[in-house]
Amino acid sequence: MDALYRFFKSVRLAIVLLLLLTALSILATLVPQGQQPAYYFHNYPPLLARLITGLGYSSFFKSWLFLVPCLLFFVNLAVCTVDRLVGRLKRKARRRYGPDLVHVGLLVLIVGALFTATGRQEGTFFLGRGDSIDLPMGYRLRLLDYTYQQYEDGRPRDWISTVEARRDEGLLEASYSIEVNRPLRLRGLKIYQSSFKREDTALLRDQSGQLEALQSGKHFQWEESILFFSGIDAGQAVFERWQGRTFAEELRRAASQPIGPYTIVELSSRDLTGLKAVKDPGFAPVLAALALVTAGLALTFIQKRKDERES
Amino acid sequence: MGYNFSQIMAVLAFALLVLAGILQAAYLLRNRRVLDPVSHWLLAAAAALLLAGIVERSLRIRFVAVTNTFESLVFFAGVTALVLFLYRLLAGERLLPLVSFGGTVISLALLAIASSPAIPKEVQSPIPALQSYWLVLHVTLSFIGESFFIVSFVASILYLAGGDEERRKKLDRLSYTAVGIGYPIFTAGALVFGAVWAQTAWGTWWSWDPKETWALITWLVYTAFLHTRLVKRLRGRLSAILSIVGFAFTIFTFFGVNYLLSGLHSYG
Repeated sequence: MDALYRFFKSVRLAIVLLLLLTALSILATLVPQGQQPAYYFHNYPPLLARLITGLGYSSFFKSWLFLVPCLLFFVNLAVCTVDRLVGRLKRKARRRYGPDLVHVGLLVLIVGALFTATGRQEGTFFLGRGDSIDLPMGYRLRLLDYTYQQYEDGRPRDWISTVEARRDEGLLEASYSIEVNRPLRLRGLKIYQSSFKREDTALLRDQSGQLEALQSGKHFQWEESILFFSGIDAGQAVFERWQGRTFAEELRRAASQPIGPYTIVELSSRDLTGLKAVKDPGFAPVLAALALVTAGLALTFIQKRKDERES
Repeated sequence: MGYNFSQIMAVLAFALLVLAGILQAAYLLRNRRVLDPVSHWLLAAAAALLLAGIVERSLRIRFVAVTNTFESLVFFAGVTALVLFLYRLLAGERLLPLVSFGGTVISLALLAIASSPAIPKEVQSPIPALQSYWLVLHVTLSFIGESFFIVSFVASILYLAGGDEERRKKLDRLSYTAVGIGYPIFTAGALVFGAVWAQTAWGTWWSWDPKETWALITWLVYTAFLHTRLVKRLRGRLSAILSIVGFAFTIFTFFGVNYLLSGLHSYG
């Protein structure tokens, strides 16, 4: 036990682990991450591809190759931190808490990252003006307004989604503008501006007079064909007719013209905002960890300066 | 094609830095131990011009102008010149003439890269993802920290190049204290504020994109560097090597990742 303790309290071990993590991470940036196994077999010699997929290098930061050194580093850091604190109490040495704060911060960071890795959830959804959505934990969001601002040269300036937020029918926010870099922070859930898209709708009437709304990206079957509604272009609905897996033709229809068994009653389009909801149990610990690391670095710096001046 | 204000400032600063470099070189050839009395003022003037260029751009885009590669390089070169000036002022003879010269050359190199036609120089307002003061802290503190890494890098090269014991000791000390100042600033800027910005913009602290990974790799190397100081037998040579590797990685994180690897940091 003593030998193990001595092994883990060693600064040399820390240096070795830091350099090992460095070397492994460098290799990971040279191999594109998160691809299908086929990708590696297509792009690398067979032996290398087998090594990459076999060792988990294709998703290195989730692989044992990375996690085991991280675990050793965690133990090393934890033992060093305890050893420093205990040693200081025994020897009544000068109080140097800066590095300890940094070390504790890093330990908390690793624990927080673990919470995030195992418990973080996110989902993207699209809303048009007036649309509502039920989110986890009893939250309900309604889009009041959505604007897209551009600079004079046409580059995007901002996307602003103004929402009303409720929880279990209690009003939380009557009107909050979610922007890029300005998320809506609810307890346990954060909503981010994520993307946008245009949704085209063709209002169709069948022979019995029934109305049906068809959104872009949707399709319907007609006799032997599939008619795919790809959107509105220059005031006309654009359909692709497919026969089985073969593309047959493109059809353009204005309002009041027939398409398949239907007649087009009306064409309309509207902008949708893409919002991302994130639930991250690691948020608070990671935030605390970053604060600890920053405070620890500042304290170390101040103490060192003081020591320099005194010597 | 007209030049904008910040480009003119960069050209003038470049000229001042060349002048400073020549002066330093002339003094070095005469006597390697005495600092010349003028070049640091030229460095200060160059820094002032470069930072004035950034201020003018900031006023025009109504945001702190550190949101593209050109602005980053100009800022980096300016801060490097400023750090060399402050070292000369505050550390005096502890800053060796060769270190000052090496730093000046690197500042010049950064400006030379900024002048490349491959780097757009138009004054443009930032896209939504970049409109965050966390980003400003992230970028500025990263470069301020890295400017101190330049001092350590040059001192480490000179340390490995040899010389008498006293001189090597001075260089070792300079290399260590420079990282001692740069490391907390770099950690706060590159990693902490970078993570906070990512959290505010995208809802995730970290996404292991190549630039993030390389910033972490750089940080690991400098962390190892600082810990070699605690082990007597590892001090000196290994420290110097780590400082050199650390700076090489700093530069690779800035340039190499953009051009050789792809990721989230496509804008700079």
